[in-house]
Amino acid sequence: MTTDAELLAAAGSDARAFRRLYDRYAEPILRFHRARTRDADAALDLTAETFAQAWLSRGRFHDRAGGSAGPWLFAIARNVLVTSVRRRRLERAAREKLGVRAEREAPEPNDAWLEGVDEALDSLAPELREAVELRVVADLTYEELAARSGTTPGAARVRVHRGLKALRERLTREEAAR
Amino acid sequence: MIDGSTELRQLGDELEDAVAARIASRPRVPRKLLLAAAVIAVAVPGIALAASALISETEVAASLPAGTAMLEGTDPQCTAVVQDVEYLCVLRSSPQPEIADMEGTVEPTVDAGKHVNGGCRSLASDGKTWRCYIGQAAVEQKIIGPQFLGEYAPAPGRG
Repeated sequence: MTTDAELLAAAGSDARAFRRLYDRYAEPILRFHRARTRDADAALDLTAETFAQAWLSRGRFHDRAGGSAGPWLFAIARNVLVTSVRRRRLERAAREKLGVRAEREAPEPNDAWLEGVDEALDSLAPELREAVELRVVADLTYEELAARSGTTPGAARVRVHRGLKALRERLTREEAAR
Repeated sequence: MIDGSTELRQLGDELEDAVAARIASRPRVPRKLLLAAAVIAVAVPGIALAASALISETEVAASLPAGTAMLEGTDPQCTAVVQDVEYLCVLRSSPQPEIADMEGTVEPTVDAGKHVNGGCRSLASDGKTWRCYIGQAAVEQKIIGPQFLGEYAPAPGRG
């Protein structure tokens, strides 16, 4: 099976590769936005913006989750949500840049949309949360992460793996419970 | 394949069409021209050297806000560590980041022709000091992916 990383690498010259990545993640990203906004139209617009940003910034993707783009896409989704709430309007810059026409009647973003957005990350043990944040968000290498955490690169790799696994399990449980 | 959502499928169609249009609209350099440029660069070392030594510290500084919206208005000042390869850049004004701690954050840089020409990594949590790499060096530093280098980037990136 083609990995997400391979699809992203091909997406710069192959729109179908990007569509395959979209098909893998569109539903979970939509569920993420719908759970926060409780509005179908706003969730669709935010999903469109998330994937438009993903295509435009695909060059920033670095494979650090075994070929999976899931953590990276959810980081973009979170950022799109947070930025929309801060600006009190749905983010649309990437959609406009790409020329995506979709535009719906959606409510004004409000602070309630951010409730619980970081709960999954907060639920991790402190050393696992730090490892995931430094690796996935701050883009440190395992060597840099190890130096920062006072451990070995091998142990740092294990912490990141355990943190991502715990996040996946929690998000899967939450989705199943909805 | 997605099950159960017509709207998600329609959105997927729209995104796929928009991406296809964007790919199709990119200017393509003829293969013969690329080959000729490569031959000239290999055959005439003086020309290759002159062609590579084209970027000034001012141009590198201008590449930061051109690549990243949050660096607009920060007035970067760059100093060459290795000419045309590595630069140390300090912002006179603080950026307005989306995250509290910017140390380790990476951002692409964009040249005056609106193409990605490298990338920078923040050395400090306040986002005022950056180590920047031009061209392939930014790819080797894993700041940008190889597909991204040279990409058309008409407006500074966000997020």
